[in-house]
Amino acid sequence: MRKKISNVDFAVDEHIWGHRLYDEQLPHLTVLEFLGVLGSNTNAPLAGPSDQIRYRPQRQIRLRGLLFNNPFVESIRERQVSDEEKWREWTERFSEDSTKLGDQDMGYLRDVFASFDDFAKAIELLRSSAFEARSNKRWSSKFVFPFGPDALYEDLRIDAKGGVSNDRRFFARTGELLYLMLSRASRGPELGAKLVERLFDPSKTMNRLVRAMQGEAQLVEGAREIGPLPYERHPRFDRMCDDWLAILSRDMPVYDALEHLIANAGLNLLLYFLECAKTVAGDADPVEIVCEIVAQRTKVRALSGDSYHANQALSVRAIRAEVESVKLDPRWDSAMQSGNPQGECLDLMREMFQWPTNDKDDEEYLNLPGEELVSKLIEKAESRHEQHVGKIHSTWSKSIGLSSRRLARRNRYAPNDRLLKTLVITIVDGRMQFDEFLSEAKKRYGIVIGDVEGARLVLNKKVDQEALSDNVRNLETRLVGLGLVRRLSDSCSFVENPFGSKGEE
Amino acid sequence: MNGLASMELGSAPPSGAWVRFLRSYGPTPNNLNLFDEYITGALNRAKVSPITLSSPQLDKIVAHVNSGAPGSLLIAGTAGDGKTYHCRGLWSALGGTAAGWADASVVKELILSDGRVAVFVKDLSELRDEQSDEALMMLERSTLDGDDSKIMVIAANHGQMLERLRDLGLRQGREHPLRKPLQDAFLLAGDSPGRLALFDLSRIAHRDSLIEVVRAVSEHKEWDNCSSCPLQANGRVCPISENRRRLLGVDGENAFVRRLGDLVDIARLNGWHLPVRDLLALASNMILGHPLAKEGLMACTDVARIQADEAGELASIYGNVFGANLPSRRAMERPVFKALASFGIGEESSSGADGLLVYGHDDFKLAESFARLVASDPVYGATPGYLSALQRYLEGEESARLESETDEFMTRLESQRRRLFFTLPDGEPFYPFWEMTAFRFGGDYLETIRALTERKAVSESVRSKLVRGLNRVMTGLLIENTDNIFVASSGGFTQSRVSVLCDTEAPAKRDRGVGMMVRLDKQTDRAALDIALAAGPGNSIVFTLSPIRFEFLCRVAMGALPGSFSNECLEDMLAFKAKLLRKAEMLRDLRPEGEDDEIGFEDNSIKLRFIEIEQHGLGFSRPVTVRVSA
Repeated sequence: MRKKISNVDFAVDEHIWGHRLYDEQLPHLTVLEFLGVLGSNTNAPLAGPSDQIRYRPQRQIRLRGLLFNNPFVESIRERQVSDEEKWREWTERFSEDSTKLGDQDMGYLRDVFASFDDFAKAIELLRSSAFEARSNKRWSSKFVFPFGPDALYEDLRIDAKGGVSNDRRFFARTGELLYLMLSRASRGPELGAKLVERLFDPSKTMNRLVRAMQGEAQLVEGAREIGPLPYERHPRFDRMCDDWLAILSRDMPVYDALEHLIANAGLNLLLYFLECAKTVAGDADPVEIVCEIVAQRTKVRALSGDSYHANQALSVRAIRAEVESVKLDPRWDSAMQSGNPQGECLDLMREMFQWPTNDKDDEEYLNLPGEELVSKLIEKAESRHEQHVGKIHSTWSKSIGLSSRRLARRNRYAPNDRLLKTLVITIVDGRMQFDEFLSEAKKRYGIVIGDVEGARLVLNKKVDQEALSDNVRNLETRLVGLGLVRRLSDSCSFVENPFGSKGEE
Repeated sequence: MNGLASMELGSAPPSGAWVRFLRSYGPTPNNLNLFDEYITGALNRAKVSPITLSSPQLDKIVAHVNSGAPGSLLIAGTAGDGKTYHCRGLWSALGGTAAGWADASVVKELILSDGRVAVFVKDLSELRDEQSDEALMMLERSTLDGDDSKIMVIAANHGQMLERLRDLGLRQGREHPLRKPLQDAFLLAGDSPGRLALFDLSRIAHRDSLIEVVRAVSEHKEWDNCSSCPLQANGRVCPISENRRRLLGVDGENAFVRRLGDLVDIARLNGWHLPVRDLLALASNMILGHPLAKEGLMACTDVARIQADEAGELASIYGNVFGANLPSRRAMERPVFKALASFGIGEESSSGADGLLVYGHDDFKLAESFARLVASDPVYGATPGYLSALQRYLEGEESARLESETDEFMTRLESQRRRLFFTLPDGEPFYPFWEMTAFRFGGDYLETIRALTERKAVSESVRSKLVRGLNRVMTGLLIENTDNIFVASSGGFTQSRVSVLCDTEAPAKRDRGVGMMVRLDKQTDRAALDIALAAGPGNSIVFTLSPIRFEFLCRVAMGALPGSFSNECLEDMLAFKAKLLRKAEMLRDLRPEGEDDEIGFEDNSIKLRFIEIEQHGLGFSRPVTVRVSA
C-alpha cells in the first residue's frame, strides 16, 4: 500500500523521487531547510525511525526583519545627530514597516548595543555574509548565514496585512527529503552527531550575536511531519553521508565546510534525481556526466552537450514509465477481465496515483476506460512535471556550477572552479594520484573527463581518445591554477587537498 | 652560402666538426645526442672528445653498492635526467662489459665481486607486465623481506614506478606495500621504504648542474681550434666565438652565468624541474642560436654569410638564452625555455631602463650611463642597426609610424632589455636588474633564503612587506600594518572579499612562542611563514613561500598587483587563512571556561572586534560589546 500524500492533485513524481524535489529550492536553500529539521531533532540527529520524525521550524521574525526589512539603518547611522535621536528615528521608521508578528517592541536592542553605530555595524556584518542579501527576492525569503541554532528560520510569505504562511516557494520540502536520506544512510547517526557538534553550538560568537538581535526564538505553532521518501535505502544516501563526513573531517572552519556541503548535496541530489529516473524508466546503465573542461578549442564540447541533453530527457521518460507501469500490475489484467473493468481500473489508478479524486475537477475522468485514464494521467503528469520537477536537472546543475553555456550555444557539463574544488576536498584525503582522482570521480558521481573513464565513448567512436586526454590535461592545468595539483614530473602528478591531513608540503 | 665567403675561406672552418657535434645537443626537433643510447656513435663519427660531466650521484650509487649494503636500488628521475647514463655508469663500474650493455635484453644480470647478483632494469617502461611484475616482486623481497640473493637496480620515472606498483597491487588484490612509502619519498614527505636506496636524479641542485654544464661546454678543448679560424681574424666577429666568450666570463668571474643561475634557482623553487638534457640543450642554444640559421642553430659554415649580411647581432646570447632564435612553439616544448619565459624578461621593464635605452643616446644627462651600459657593447648593445632604428623611431619618420616599423623597434627594444638584465652591474642604483623581470622581488627572495640558510636575521624591509601583504589578503582592506597580523573573518565564508571581523591578532615577530617566524623549510629549500597562534607545539600553521607566492605578497604590499598574476596564489593564501581561522577555532574550544576573562563577563556579553582604518592607513581593532542574555 502506497503512502498517501496530501495536498497533491495526483502522485506520480512523488513515487519516483519522494515528496518532494523542487527546482526553485536550490541546494543552499535545501541545506537550510535541512538544518531546520535537524535543529528540532538534536537529541537524536539523523537517527530513529523516519515515520516519527517531526519538526517545528523557527520563524525569527525579528531577526530577519532587522536584517532584510530594515533599509534605513545606514542612512540614519550617517546622520549628524545624537545617539538618542538616531534610536528614536529608527524605531519610528522600523515600526511603520513591522509585521506586528512579535516585532512591535524592539526597545531591547538599546540594552544590547552600547550605541546606534554599533548596532548598525553589527547589521552590516550579518548582511555581508547572508545568502542572496542583495538579490531582489522578497525579504522574507532571504537568509542569514547559518551561524548556529538561533540563525535558522523557514521561508515565509508575509503579506502587507501581516498575514504569514509557508507557501512552499523556496522551502518546498527538499530539505526534508535530504534529512530523510541522510538519516537512512548507514552512518547517518554518526553524521548527525558531528553536524550538531559543529553547527549547533549555541555559544559560538556569531550565534550569540544573532540571538542577541532576535531575542527568544519564535517557533511555528505545531510540529510537522516530513517527506515521505520512497526508498528505505539507496546507495546515493550512503554516498552523500560519507561525503559529508569526509568534508567535515577536513581541517577547515565549519563555516567554510558548509559551502562544500551545499555543493556536494546539490551534486548528490542531482544524481539521485537522475538515478531514480533511470531505474523507473528501466535503464540499467549507470548515470554518466561527460564534462568538458573549458578551453578555447575542445572536441569534448559537443559530447558533453549530448550527455547533458540525454540526462535532461530522463525524468520525463520516467514519468511516462511510472504511470504505464500500472498496466504491468497483475491487478490490471484481472481488472480488465472482470465484470466491471472501468470501475476496477479506476480503483487501481486511485490506489496507485491518488487519482482521479472525487473532486469536482476530476469528475470528467470518472467514466473513462482504463487505457484512457492512463494516457490522460500521463498527459497531466507530464505537464505538471515540466513546470518544476522537470527543471531540476537544469537549475541545480547550473546552481552547483556543473553546467554552463560559456563559449557555447547550448548547455553542457563544464564544471567551474568552485565545484572542482569541492570535488577535491570531498574525494582526496591527503593526496592522490591524478588518474586515481579521475577514476574516483567516475565511480562516485559518474563524472567522465579522461580517456580511461570514457573508454566506452572512444570505443563507440563518439570521440577520439586524444580529445579526452587533452581534456584531462586541461583539468590538470586548471587544478594547478587552483593550487590543488602538484606535478612531480612530466609523467606524474598528484591531486592535493589543502585541508587534508597531509596537505601542505 | 654566398660565393664571397667560400672564396676567402677556401677550406672548412677548423672547429666545424665540434660545432656540428655541439649543435646536435641543441633544441632541434630530433636532438638525438641527448639520448645516452646514441652518444657513442655520434662521438666516433665526429672524432671529437666528449662533453664530460661529473656525476656526483653516480659516485654515490657506486659507493652504495660497493659498501655491500643489503637491499636494492631505485634510480628515479624525469626524462632527460640521465637515468640510463647512471645505470650504464654503475654497470661498467661494477665490471659489466660494453657489449653486455649494448645487447638487446631489457633485464641484465651481473655477478658482483662479493658473489651477489645484481639485476639491472635500465628502463622499467620497456618491460612487459609479467617481466615487470617479476622484477617488482624481487624488489619487494629484497627490500622488505630480507632476501639477499639478488639486488635489483631499477631505473624508472616516478609516474611509471608508482603506476606499475599500483597495477601489480591490483592484480594481487592488495595495496602494494612499496607504493605509498615510495610516493611519500618522491614527494619528500617520508623516507624510502625498507632497504630500498632511492637515488632521485630530479632532486639535484640546478644551479650547480647549470654551472657544470656551461663549463663543460664553454671550456671544452675543441674550441682551441678556433684560434686559427679566419672567420674571427682581422676584426671579424664570429657570433659563435663571441657567445662562447661571454659564457666563459672574465677571470673566472661570470656575471652572466651567475644571473642565469639566479633565474634557474627561482625557477626550481617555483617547482620547475630542469633535467640535464635540457641544460645541455640550453648551453648549445646559447652559443649557436641564430634565427636565420637552419633550425635556428648556427654551424661554422653559416658564419661567413651572417657576417656578410651584418646579421651578427641576431645571434645575441641574451636572446638565445630564452630561445628567441627558435619558433616559439618549438621553444615552449622544452621545460627550460618555458621556465625561463616565466620571468617575462624582455617584456617587463622599468621606466628608468626604457628611458635609458630610448633616450640615452641623445640625452646628455643619460650619456654617461648609456656609454657605460649600452654603447660599450658594439656587438649586441648599441649596434649600428639599433642606433639607426632608434633614430627612425625618435625622429618620427613617416615610415616609423607604420606598425611594421614600430614592431621592429619593439623587437629590438626587447632584445636590449634582455641584454640589460644580464649585463647591469650588481647594485646599479638607478637600474636594478630585478625590475626587468616579472619577479621584481626575486633578489629579495634569494637574499632571504641566503640569510635563512646562514641562520641570519631576515631583512626588516622584507618582513614588513610580507606582513603588510599578508594583512591585506587577510582582511581585504588596504591597511599598512607591519607589526601585527590580523587573522580576520567575515563571519561566514573565508572566501568573502572583505573580512572586517578580527578573530585573533598575532605579533609579526615570534615572541614567547607566539607570532610569525620566517624560517627555512628544509624539505623544499623554500622560505616559510610559520604563524603560531598560541605557544606550544601544534599551535602554528606553516605556509611555504615559493618565489611566486613571495612576489604575490610583496606586490600586494606595494599596492600593485598585475592582472597577469595567476589566481593560484590567492587561492593558496585563502586556504592558509582558512587554516589559521580553524586553528583559532580549535584553540578557543580548548580554552577552559572563563579563563582570561573577568568572571561573568563571557556569560553576559560578547565582544566583536571590528577592523577599522585610521588616517594613516593603519588598521586597528575596535571592540564592539554586545550584551546578551545568559
